Amino acid sequence: MTLYLSQVSAIVWKDLMLEFRTRERLAAMGAFAVLAGVLFNYSLDTARVAPQDVAAGLVWMTIVFGGLLGVGRTFHLEAQDGAMQGVLTSPAPKDAVYLGKTLANFALLFPVALLVLGVFTLFFGLDLGSSPGTLVLALALGALGFVALSTLFAAVSSETHMGETLLPILVFPLLVPMVIYGVGATGRILVGRPVEEVMGNVRMLAAFAVLALAVGAGLFRFVVED
Amino acid sequence: MSTKGMRRAGTGLAVVGLLGLMFVYWLSFFWVSTEANQGVAQRIFYVHVPAAWTAFLAFGLCALTSAMYLWLRDDRLDRAAVAAAEGGMVFGAIMLTTGPLWGRIAWGTYWTWEPRLTLTLLLWFIFLGYFMVRSSTENPEKGKRFAAVVAIVGALDIPFIHLSVLWFRSLHPQPVVVKPDGPTLPGDMLTTLLTSVAAFTVLFLGLFMLRYALEGLHRELDARARRVAA
Repeated sequence: MTLYLSQVSAIVWKDLMLEFRTRERLAAMGAFAVLAGVLFNYSLDTARVAPQDVAAGLVWMTIVFGGLLGVGRTFHLEAQDGAMQGVLTSPAPKDAVYLGKTLANFALLFPVALLVLGVFTLFFGLDLGSSPGTLVLALALGALGFVALSTLFAAVSSETHMGETLLPILVFPLLVPMVIYGVGATGRILVGRPVEEVMGNVRMLAAFAVLALAVGAGLFRFVVED
Repeated sequence: MSTKGMRRAGTGLAVVGLLGLMFVYWLSFFWVSTEANQGVAQRIFYVHVPAAWTAFLAFGLCALTSAMYLWLRDDRLDRAAVAAAEGGMVFGAIMLTTGPLWGRIAWGTYWTWEPRLTLTLLLWFIFLGYFMVRSSTENPEKGKRFAAVVAIVGALDIPFIHLSVLWFRSLHPQPVVVKPDGPTLPGDMLTTLLTSVAAFTVLFLGLFMLRYALEGLHRELDARARRVAA
């Protein structure tokens, strides 16, 4: 068990270290989030639509689109330099590689999700509603479910000649539960509904994340077989 | 079963299925009584529901054979998975076109975010991804594995999608056949519906076997072409 954890954390550190040296994916996702907020500002007539009412959907869609931007490149570096072979021939089991990659992606996406929330709060003058803590929990669980599925399919799409173009087609239909429960919870909190009302949604987000992680860990070995 | 046997059995079943379908058309146009509230438009139900049943059967079969393929690596299982997925796309498309046509008259709108409608649309797109993954790898073995992974994840996600879209809201007619206290559908309508379900299932199995045999011939052809080239 300790060995397994150290194998997972080795992958996480490797990915995060590479990211902190280049800061490519974080910068891309962060800039995307802010710029999407700017575009949303001009695509909404705030005199007619109260930002508070539609912000939940905008926040989640920005996280999904921005997330794909970064997660889609998870295996880019390895594929380019043939380094995937090295990672796979290491003594770490395939599921440890998958979990490491997924957790590293989570460590990148979660701050971006918080940034999206912060930027939208600033741009649209949102009020964080009844329970900012639950809001952050919902975002974290949603982001975890999202990276669990999209990391698995990033491994698939990076091995096809369509590349990252294929990724949204593969993951969008699967992400519907995450978006529905996530937006449902966020929207209710933003309009000041009591926290008890969204706990069901938060539990479903957690269940979705757990299932996605289990499925990803179980199936990743078939994706990176050779 | 050999490819030839498969082809014969498939042709036989497909012919029986098509004849059954003609009988269903006769039943639903001339025999069955008109539903009181919805009028003639309700007759599309005898195509829509069996198509839906067949599409779900096909996608289920695809997910099952995909999982078995990843486990046993028998090429025949992958052939079965492709054949089933293609059938699922076709019957899914029938369901997705007949549904809105009926919905326009019964609900007054072609499209609504009704749970079952949404679920089918998403299922259809999951399997679109299944085919796109297959055709975009240079190594066909890789394509088979990737597609199998897509089918399995899709099948496991289906209950979740169903729960979530149900939670979102519901407008679809509630079940009228399979429910705890027996069917509430009038006798002649039930007969027509069940005949249609049988005809669609037989037709699907026929097409499935034909497609399976065709896939076998394709691969044999590819293998021979490679041998000649080498």
